[in-house]
Amino acid sequence: MPEAAAPSIEIKGLTKRFGGFFALNELDMEVAAGHIHALIGPNGAGKTTFFNLLTGVLAADEGAILFEGRPLDEGRPSRRTARGIARTFQNIRLFPHLTALETVMIGEHCRAYASIWKALGSAVLRRPFDEAAEERRMRENAMELLAFLGLAAHANERASNLPYGEQRKLEIARALATQPRLLLLDEPAAGLNPNETAALDETITRIRDRGVTIVLIEHDMNLVMGISDRVTVLNFGTKIAEGTPGEVQAHPSVLEAYLGEGVEP
Amino acid sequence: MLHDLFDGYTRSILVFTGVNIMAAYSFYAPFKTGQVSLGQAGFMAIGAYASAVLTQKFGVPFAAALPVAGVVAGGIGVLVGFPALRIKGIYLLLLTLGFAEIVQVVALSWDFVGGAQGFRQIPFVPSILEYVVALIVVLVLFFARLERSSLGRAMDAVHQDETAAEVMGLDVVRIKLLAFGLGAAIAGLAGALYAHHATYIDSNTFNIMVAVEILMFVIVGGSSTYWGPLLGAGFLTLLPEFLRTLRDWLELVPVAWTDFFPMNRVYDFLHDALDFENAKRLIVYGIIIMVMMILRPDGLLTRDSLRRLWMPRHA
Repeated sequence: MPEAAAPSIEIKGLTKRFGGFFALNELDMEVAAGHIHALIGPNGAGKTTFFNLLTGVLAADEGAILFEGRPLDEGRPSRRTARGIARTFQNIRLFPHLTALETVMIGEHCRAYASIWKALGSAVLRRPFDEAAEERRMRENAMELLAFLGLAAHANERASNLPYGEQRKLEIARALATQPRLLLLDEPAAGLNPNETAALDETITRIRDRGVTIVLIEHDMNLVMGISDRVTVLNFGTKIAEGTPGEVQAHPSVLEAYLGEGVEP
Repeated sequence: MLHDLFDGYTRSILVFTGVNIMAAYSFYAPFKTGQVSLGQAGFMAIGAYASAVLTQKFGVPFAAALPVAGVVAGGIGVLVGFPALRIKGIYLLLLTLGFAEIVQVVALSWDFVGGAQGFRQIPFVPSILEYVVALIVVLVLFFARLERSSLGRAMDAVHQDETAAEVMGLDVVRIKLLAFGLGAAIAGLAGALYAHHATYIDSNTFNIMVAVEILMFVIVGGSSTYWGPLLGAGFLTLLPEFLRTLRDWLELVPVAWTDFFPMNRVYDFLHDALDFENAKRLIVYGIIIMVMMILRPDGLLTRDSLRRLWMPRHA
């Protein structure tokens, strides 16, 4: 297990309200670089809201986020992706008409073309029948990523035609194509069978070994407790426990949140 | 050269077909990122009036006025594109429709451009057909390359899931603005070409029905491939001409064959049906679009059907 260096993200007093409802309330949290950090909690605890705030899909009401020591003040999600944060979606959000290969190449676009004018230039100004050099490189990288996730055989299939489990993997491949240093996985095991979940366990570890810090939202406790370096437990937008998987599992308020009051550990 | 190849009537038909094809591409560009615009007729009007003013009032040669018309329309397109960024679907439709309406009202009430009298005596450009053909070739090549490029793929992704595209690092704002501005510029060029062929435009030349027809071209031709707008606009514009030709042939049928019941009724019906005046054309458009929505909602041509054509074995 890699030892903690500088934190990947530091969060102070992060708050998000929807009307009068606190989706997140004064959350303080730190994710160490190189860790697999799980975020668990009952439905509605604010886990996905947390991802939406980190990626800029939603704007926080209060609080500060530091990413690798610098404030994460870019407003738009695409700018944060450029900073090195990528995510998957709880409800799979692939581009249904693109093939698996094309889907991954979308993730690479922001690294291959710094500006839209470069992208336009590369699209229009090249010799006939001559593929742009960037395009070739993107295709090779994308094939590599598909192979990494075991999707190479599906490269030319439409994303919407892939089996559910493969779609989840394709989401991970697309996120990795943006070359993130922080990867947010939103329930990657949801809807997978036990074999697929076991394979996912290994996949996540291998991604971590590529030097990517991972924050994992997951309900599958076997998966969470097996691979996480640290676990944070949220309930009603508030952090109720944090620690190693062992510490968290024994924590009284965690048991209370999950099983109800008055249960003896 | 092209000028001498056809008689005046045929040339006119070809110019209007070409202008319609360009208008269809002007709709296709923003639609590639999921933006449905009913304002393309408005951008055509801007290009038409810009070029008419430059050539007639300031003596600018048409070859210089044409690109200016495109740039002016494109620039206004980017401005309209900003509020269009945040809204989608039916609301975007209404916003662009409202924009086209504003253009019409300005054209109607601004005396400098002729007001209600319309803009008369726009310099006729004899070589307009050459311009039209050249620009269509450029557009087809451009969109062919776009479709096979990373930017084109990014536009498809924005069309299919904007939020996911943005989170995957695509600059959705710039991509949508580029597509909208590009579409407006193409519409401006098409409008200018129209103006210098018709030599007269007024506030009603580029009305809502024009916008609806442009939309029809792309829906019928197919919007998933760059050949769709060409096919749709070509087919729907030439269809009345084709039917008119059939009618001319029908009149060659000897009278002795048709002057008894029931052939006289059949002849009258056909003769009448093939006379494709405006109202009937719109009815037929309506029927075509209803049938298309049921049988081929993606249009006559789709990217998949083209793929199957090129590589039958991989189908």
